[in-house]
Amino acid sequence: MIRATARPLASPSARGKALARELSALHIAVSCDPPDLWAMSRDSWPRALLWSKARVTPHRPDVVAWPADAAQVAAVVGFAAEREVPVVPFGGGSGICGGVVPVRGGIALDMKKLTALQIDLSARTAEAGAGLLGQRLEELLNAQGATLGHFPPSMYRATVGGWLATRSAGQLSTRYGKIEDMVLALEAVDGTGALLRTLEGPFAGPDLTQLLVGSEGTLAVLTSARLRIWPRPRAQWLRGLRFPTPRAGVDGLQAVLRSGLRPAVARLFDPLDTLFAGKGGLPAIPQPLRRVAEGARGEALRLALRAPLVLNRLVEALPRASLLVLGFEGESEEDCAEEGRAALELCAAAAGEDLGPDPGERWLLRRYRERHRQPALFSAGAFVDTLDVATTWDRVAALEQGVRRAVSSHALAIAHVSHAYLEGCSVEFTLIGLAGAPAAEIARGSPDDAEADLEEAEARYDACWKAALDAVAEAGATVSHHHGVGMARQLALPREHGEGMRQLRALKKAFDPRGILNPGKLLL
Amino acid sequence: MSLREQLAASGAAVVEEAQGGYRVTPPSVASLGRAVAMVRAGKLLLQVRGSGDAPVPAPANGVLLDLGSLDRVAAVDGGTCLARVEAGCSVAALEAAARRAGCTLGPLLPSVRAGSVGAWLAGPTRGERGIAGSRRETAALGVAAVLADGRVAESRPAPRSATGPDLDHLALGGGGRLCVIAAAWIRLFPFAPAAAAWWTCADLAAAIGALEQLCRDRLAPARARLVATAEGARFGASWEGLETAPMERDRAARTVSRLGCGAETAPGALHRVREPPAGHAVEVDARWASLRGWSQQGEIQLYGLHAGGAHAALTLPEEAAADASAALARAAGGRVIAPRRMRDAGPGWDAMGAGAAWRRLIEALGVEEAAP
Repeated sequence: MIRATARPLASPSARGKALARELSALHIAVSCDPPDLWAMSRDSWPRALLWSKARVTPHRPDVVAWPADAAQVAAVVGFAAEREVPVVPFGGGSGICGGVVPVRGGIALDMKKLTALQIDLSARTAEAGAGLLGQRLEELLNAQGATLGHFPPSMYRATVGGWLATRSAGQLSTRYGKIEDMVLALEAVDGTGALLRTLEGPFAGPDLTQLLVGSEGTLAVLTSARLRIWPRPRAQWLRGLRFPTPRAGVDGLQAVLRSGLRPAVARLFDPLDTLFAGKGGLPAIPQPLRRVAEGARGEALRLALRAPLVLNRLVEALPRASLLVLGFEGESEEDCAEEGRAALELCAAAAGEDLGPDPGERWLLRRYRERHRQPALFSAGAFVDTLDVATTWDRVAALEQGVRRAVSSHALAIAHVSHAYLEGCSVEFTLIGLAGAPAAEIARGSPDDAEADLEEAEARYDACWKAALDAVAEAGATVSHHHGVGMARQLALPREHGEGMRQLRALKKAFDPRGILNPGKLLL
Repeated sequence: MSLREQLAASGAAVVEEAQGGYRVTPPSVASLGRAVAMVRAGKLLLQVRGSGDAPVPAPANGVLLDLGSLDRVAAVDGGTCLARVEAGCSVAALEAAARRAGCTLGPLLPSVRAGSVGAWLAGPTRGERGIAGSRRETAALGVAAVLADGRVAESRPAPRSATGPDLDHLALGGGGRLCVIAAAWIRLFPFAPAAAAWWTCADLAAAIGALEQLCRDRLAPARARLVATAEGARFGASWEGLETAPMERDRAARTVSRLGCGAETAPGALHRVREPPAGHAVEVDARWASLRGWSQQGEIQLYGLHAGGAHAALTLPEEAAADASAALARAAGGRVIAPRRMRDAGPGWDAMGAGAAWRRLIEALGVEEAAP
């Protein structure tokens, strides 16, 4: 358990004040103000939301620095390396794995001033500063008739650097790829303060760009990236298809991919999500499940979550129909319709029934909403988390069943295929479980009561998470498809990488010999 | 115990070659691991060769690891479009196995097709090939790599992951310097009939420009062939994908027509796209600008086309030597990757400001080599 060591808004540390003075002398904007330190103390990791509910701040930086450009990033890192002070890069704070929690204090490096953008339409590239917010980048590209094609749910909060640091995936990844497929070259500062500029190619030796992408700030601080951009599509085609079972849905989706078609949207929902997405399906959902999935408040929710086994049995008893949302983008309505017709025919062969455009359009409208419902669930005394894992098609069923079985006594599990490839897919589980007392009750109680409640909530959350990760490893799947590792999943890394952990540690020694960059992540 | 005896104790066949070098042929991955550990412990120079790779001598006072016996295709799954294969297997043998399962590796550079899977992945193309949507990705879904102490690091076979840096990239393109690829999961495509078309245009540069435009409009063909003629140039391209090949060919035809190129209607379009070049080809990895700047004579075959460039086999008219073709490619900014004797080292980590990190990485991985 992480001990609660400080109340929010505690005074700055002596180390923080000293660091602030020295960094100011380098003409770098800094702050030791308690609200700034608190803001950089965690991201959107659900476990950190439990901390917030209990009003504790287990970790916080000593000082926050706002470098204005790559040279200032290099200056801060070089300064920190000399003093062996930790440096934790911070983007939008939208990560859900605790990747920016400053477990050893030090300097929180807020990258949001690095927002430069150069668009080269003829070369189809954009050079974007690491601190640029995703939605802003897309708006600026759209204004010039271009798109990055990257639309994760964190679109309005995440930065380019955060996407790259965690190997983010957008909702149109089947067409455009993940962020690691979009990046052509990087500018970064390693743990010695050296500025690196990777080449777009052709170049010799291992691909340095791909070794830095996904390193979660542990090898280098990413300062900018050259990204592949595309003409903004002029037309879109969206459909919902109803399959009699999830297995039939997988068959339909695989048939589409094997035909060479690359839908922009390809999301296959489990029976519970299918009922919620369908018109008039709600009466078919048993009341306890509706309470949980709709985010009911107060005791009704807590009551339902006290019996997760019952909830999961109710899910098993639901009609097995599965909804596939499929979408194509292109230069013209005709192009999209041509691909759509071909996909519908392939899905029909797998018993997929065309439900028309409504389910697809409803998904489009609601696609960024889910995450914003989560704080209400936490306030009500629940936890909700998402687990994005990936494997090859032949192992998907075993993975899905294994995780459901493993978490069934801890939380309600809802799942959907979120990203699809020719050889496999990502399955995203939403886990909703009982955490502790409602926030209002904690606010009325004593600090000791809050800590006791937090201890209990963390124990429940950790037990669920451990069971899920063990099941993923057991199924031979990867424990993260696009959310990264952070603190949440790092204990699963030895099973994930095996002997590769030694390669990971060698990379750490090579790029961050003093071990100052984002310590306590990736087991580094 | 002599070095030869130590190497033989790994279970591998050992042959002494000129200048004190040894050719070591391990019969299994375990034996390969033991041999690598001995080589790395002795800080000996190391080279790797697989089935189909050009014969090379063992380095002086060093070791040539011949993976010719590690050539098994362990599994091909047409359903998931994946093959598990040992690194010494020839690409041609893997393609044959893939075809039997209704799959294919897709079009690849001639030098890649002639070599081993290990050489393809560890070589300058990193196993990359073109995929739908004008993108390029490595064919390696996962790699089993032998580390300095002989242990094997293997990534999980998943289509993508976000569990830190992609450690496979320590092996891909590394030429065996940081670790030795023992086996891999290789991505396949479902085999499907291709659709092709040919056009005429002003010159080779214009033909390159047309293909570049197609790639930037997400209509990259699987392969293309461009030929200089007395009147200008002709170029053909083929698309693969059961449903998409004819769609993309027809959309490409509309784009190419807008660029002022004339469509050819002669039969056998696909056959002509696949026709081998007449002379000695030089293979390069190049950006579009480099390809436009190469030559207005001869022939170009393109593979792995993507929005930024392509792998190309460049052939000048028959009387011109391959060296001349390579010189022109270099002058235009391309990197020569085959034939091996002409291969450019290319800019490495030093050029990226990461020279110091590279040296620390060599030390941390325990793969230092003493000077010959």
